[in-house]
Order: sequence, then C-alpha cells, then structure tokens
Amino acid sequence: MRRLLSKTKLSANMNCRLDGNCVKAFGKAIHALSRIGDELWLDPTVKGLALRSVNSAHSAYACFLFSPLFFQKYSLQSTSEGGNEPIKCKLTMKCVLPLFRCLTSIERNVEQCHISTGPPKDQVMIQFFCRHGITKTHNLRFQESEALQAVFASHLCPNTLTAPARLLSDMVMHFPASQEEITLSVTPLRVTLKNFYEAGSDHMKMVYTEMSLHPDEFDCFQVAVESDVTFCLKELRGFLSFAESHCLPVSVHCSAAGKPVCFSVEDLALEATVVLATLTDSESREPSQPTASQTHTTPRCAEASHLAVGSCEANIREPRGTPAVTELVASSQGSPIPPRTDGLWLPVEDCTNAPTTPASSMVCSLLFRALFSEQDSDPANLTVLACYSDEEEENMEEEFARSPSL
Amino acid sequence: MKFRGKIIDIACLNHFTRVITTISKLTKTCVLRLTPDNLFFVLSEKVANGGVSMWCELSEANFFDEYQMEGVSSEDNEICLEVTPENLSRALKTVQNAKSVKVKLTKKHCPCLTVAAELPTLSSSSRVVTHDVPVDVIPRRLWHEFKEPNMPDFDVSIYLPPLKTIKNVVDRMKNLSNFLVLEANLSGEMNLKIETDLVSVTTHFKDLGNPPWGEDASQAPSQSRDPEAMVQARVDIRKLQQFLMGQQVNPSKAMCNIVHERVVHLILLHEDVSLQYFIPAVA
Repeated sequence: MRRLLSKTKLSANMNCRLDGNCVKAFGKAIHALSRIGDELWLDPTVKGLALRSVNSAHSAYACFLFSPLFFQKYSLQSTSEGGNEPIKCKLTMKCVLPLFRCLTSIERNVEQCHISTGPPKDQVMIQFFCRHGITKTHNLRFQESEALQAVFASHLCPNTLTAPARLLSDMVMHFPASQEEITLSVTPLRVTLKNFYEAGSDHMKMVYTEMSLHPDEFDCFQVAVESDVTFCLKELRGFLSFAESHCLPVSVHCSAAGKPVCFSVEDLALEATVVLATLTDSESREPSQPTASQTHTTPRCAEASHLAVGSCEANIREPRGTPAVTELVASSQGSPIPPRTDGLWLPVEDCTNAPTTPASSMVCSLLFRALFSEQDSDPANLTVLACYSDEEEENMEEEFARSPSL
Repeated sequence: MKFRGKIIDIACLNHFTRVITTISKLTKTCVLRLTPDNLFFVLSEKVANGGVSMWCELSEANFFDEYQMEGVSSEDNEICLEVTPENLSRALKTVQNAKSVKVKLTKKHCPCLTVAAELPTLSSSSRVVTHDVPVDVIPRRLWHEFKEPNMPDFDVSIYLPPLKTIKNVVDRMKNLSNFLVLEANLSGEMNLKIETDLVSVTTHFKDLGNPPWGEDASQAPSQSRDPEAMVQARVDIRKLQQFLMGQQVNPSKAMCNIVHERVVHLILLHEDVSLQYFIPAVA
C-alpha cells in the first residue's frame, strides 16, 4: 500500500471536554465502531468530532459525528503554521477500545474527559478525570491519514423506514448471535427479516428464522420499490445497541439488492450512520474469488455493490454537488463517468470501467471519497481513498489516491 | 404424520422452554416422541453418549392449550423425530412474551418443527415470527431403541440432597479427579467420594430419607440388607456434572437409585415433568 501524503499539510489542534454522561455515550459509540473495523478515524471538524471506521473488506462503514453541542467545550485551534485545517488521525481500535471498555465503571468513576490532539506531540491525549482526584492520562500514537468517508446519498433511496431503535433490536433479537447475514425484504405491505445462508453451507441443519412487521409499526414508512437486501447483521448490532441506549429512532434507507443499505440516527448533539454493502442478486456465488481475502465476507463483498461515490454524506439532508452523478457511478460498473470540470472526480475511477481484472473487482467493492473538511470549498483538495495508485497520479496536483487497506 | 400444538399461557410457555433448555444442556441431540397424550425426550444408551441415557416425560395437557397429532399409522399412532434441543430452546427463548406459540411439524426444505409465535405489538396488527427447526424423522423399525427404560433392580434408593448443594460439591471435586464414587445406604446416608494419589475427599450427607418403593417395586433380594451397608457406583464425574448443570428449577422430588457397581439412576419429578437419567458405573 503506497500512501501519498498531502503536500499541503495543514494542521491544527483539537481540544474538547466531555462530562461524565457523555463519556459513556462516547464510549458506546466506540464500542459500536469496534464491531465494524479495527481502526478508528478521528476527524475533528468545525461541524464536530467525527469518529469513523470501516471493515477490512470495505463492506461496512460507520460514522459517529458528535456536534460541538455534545461537548462541554470544543475548540479547534490552528497552530502557528497557519491554516485552519484540522488534522485527521487514525488509531488502532486495540488502543482505543480498552480505554472505554467498561462502560459501567466509566459511568461510576469518570467525571470528565479531555481529548486533545497536537502536532508537536504526534499523539492524541485522552485524559479521564475520575473520582477521588484520580487522573488517568493516555497518550495514543496516531497515524496521520486522510479522512475516511463513504458517501451515500440516502435521500435518493427509494425506500425509507423509520422506527424506534427498540423495534429493530426486537427484530434482530430473534436471530442467533452467530448469524452472519440477514435479508431485509421491503414491500408496500410488509417488512420481512429472514436469515440468509450461503448456498452450499450446511443449511440442512440450520434453523430458518423469519419475521415480518406491519407498516403500522414504523414511524415513517415510504416504500417505492420492492426490494430484498442482504447484509451483514453482526456489524449492525453494535449500532443498534447504541441507538437503543439513546432511545433514538433509527432510519433505514435501502433500495435494490446490491446497493448499500444505510441505518442512521440523529439528535441535536450527534448523528450516527452505518452503511453496509449488500449482496447482489447474482445466481451463482463462487466462494472463492481470485483476490486474497482475510475474512470470508470479502469474496461476497467483491460482488456486492460499491458503497457509493458521491458528493453527499449519508447524514446530510440537503443535496450537494450533483447527486445524479452519484447514482450513475454507484450502481453500475460499466457506466461512463460523466466528465466534471470542477475536479470532484478522479480518473482513478477508471478502475470501474475495467472490471475484468481481479484487482479491480476487489477494489471496486468500495470507493471512498476523502474530504479534508466538509466546508472545504476548494474541490481540488478532494481525494478518493480507493484503487491502486497510478504513476500518473503523482503528476496530478493535489489529488491523491491510496489503495484500500486490505 | 401431523402435529400441531398451541401454547397460550405465558407460564406454560415459560415452563416448556425451561424443560427444553434443560434437555439441551444434557445432550446435543435426542429423540422427541409424540403420542396423543405425551411428549418424550429420549436419549438412548449408546457408546457415543458414553453410555448415559435419558428419559423425560411431559404430559401435553400441562403445557398445550391445543394439541393435535396424527401418528405414522392408526396402530402406531406416534411420531418419532430426532431433534437438536438447543435449536428448539433458542427459538422458544426469543418468543417468551408471545401472545401464542404454535409448534407444528412442517415440511420445508426438510422436515421441520416450526415454532410460530404471535408477538404483541403497539399497533393493531401482530408480529409473526417463525423459526423452522430441522428434524429427522425416525423410521418405525428403529422405534424399539427409544422405549421407556425399565426400572433397574436397584440395591438402594435414596432421596437426593438439594441439587445445588451437590452441584457445588461436584464442581469442586471435578478439579481433583475424573471419577467420583457415589454411595448410599438404606439409612438415608449418602457419600460423594473422590480418591487420587495425593488426596481423598468425602462429602457426607445424612438424614436424606429413602423412598418407600413398596413390596412390588424391584428390590434386589436384600430384605435382609443391612440398612447401614453402603452400596456404591463409580462414575465419570463429568457426566454427573453435566446432569446437575442443566437443572434450573428445584424438583418436587429428586431420587437416586444405585445398582451396586453397575449404574446410577437419577429421577427428578417436577409437577408436570419427570426426568430420568442413567449413568453407567465404570470400573
């Protein structure tokens, strides 16, 4: 994996303070993210602190955005080097999760938590101010990286359901903890969840579970297109647990099989999103793909749809850029990329037009767009975190690519 | 072959689930025999089981509000299914708050026991959950393997101390030895003994009482047996532990019959369920 660092490195310090209750919520978010991937991206922005993670197969992505309202204090300070770009840092989950592992003890003992980053130290400092005057300071080394962000135009999804988190948890509870994948079927009359077994597995011995809900049970039920989407349940459970603990309604956005499904919650202080790739409708599913894969889900996800490329975040309601373009690229491998003059798109997308090579089919499983900051109006600073690097990209001004971490 | 049972009462559902959960802790697979009046969970004595066998009897009337079954034929009005009780237990555990639960024999991708539950919701319509638990139908020619076991010619029969107490003792003894000697006499005394090269430990229980089986019960020709004489059987401690681990509720009656150096026969009687468990003695 070759990583090209930004030439125009700008840096700033982030400093924030959370009170006791919020530390628990923050920890719960980290728990949910740890169910997704092994790395945690910390992205301090003006809109708030974003925590993100992606799984190794790039078929699941989650983002928790804590707005400044969530914190007692939240500040971004530019350093003497000038500029107001916050740095992005990537931490391994193994370092961060243990700090927040025992939520009940955090609830009992921690009165305040300070989180700060500082370029001179190349570290994130997480300080817990606990009862009895105890202070625990943790300095975590981070790897500076471009921000990670999957874009998903949720408002373009034909089907939107909203339900209390409790309802979804109750549905999911019927499936054993070991259940890998489930299929969500949506029709105008009914919503059905059933477990999914790969053809060829020992399904004769497995228990088939199916349950259905009436549209009345949902707070919001908009189904324009009947669809069956199959996605990984394990990655969703952590998120649902978070949503339930905050009693937030969960929105589900889905469309046809193969397109990603998105689950989101929001309130004044935070927004959380999970985007999961879904299985395509193909009849035959070869268990072995030519690409190396660590997890058994990878081969499937190589066939699975891309977790879109686009100009919108999943949790933004107002469209940005031209969503129509997003749809074209996201859904079909072979469709031509419309030329854009503002530099939002990289020719690196060429890989989508060459699906024949095993490598491209692997990397096209998920395309990410990295944005330095949401408010960055200079489109030339946009980077796509996807595909293998091409030599010619080195010549591109301020546009970089990085191969996916597999 | 048809079978359909419906449970409406929450307490019955709870109890039924607990019975199946107990069975699931005792064995990975077992045979479910359905007759017009009863359900039996049977584990027959096989080398693969380590020689243990189990017989659990439920009266359908105590659990089901509706119960219909049609056996293989009118003479053999029974259904025999091989099932993995854990699957059934898991399916039932998720629907403990159901308005009603139906258990029925269905044919999906294979013969299944389908657990179909109607769950309460805030809206007017109800939520339906189905779990299809795959089963294997046992052919008639093999039914003889799953008959009710005969009461052995036991030498001593004694009431057991509280199961929790025995479990605590056995759990600790398991750390020291793989075999345990269970001995009892007709004076209400029972000992659990382990013996290794380094240590021997004995736990004594007194005043347990002996069940009055009566003259017609099979007693070894030992009316002249010395009431103080101990009869014993040496068993694999893990099998005893497994039996004790599964018990979730204290039974109304718990008894142990010992055939000297042959078998330990444990009998648990609850209000509407009876469970018998045989552990063979080892040399």
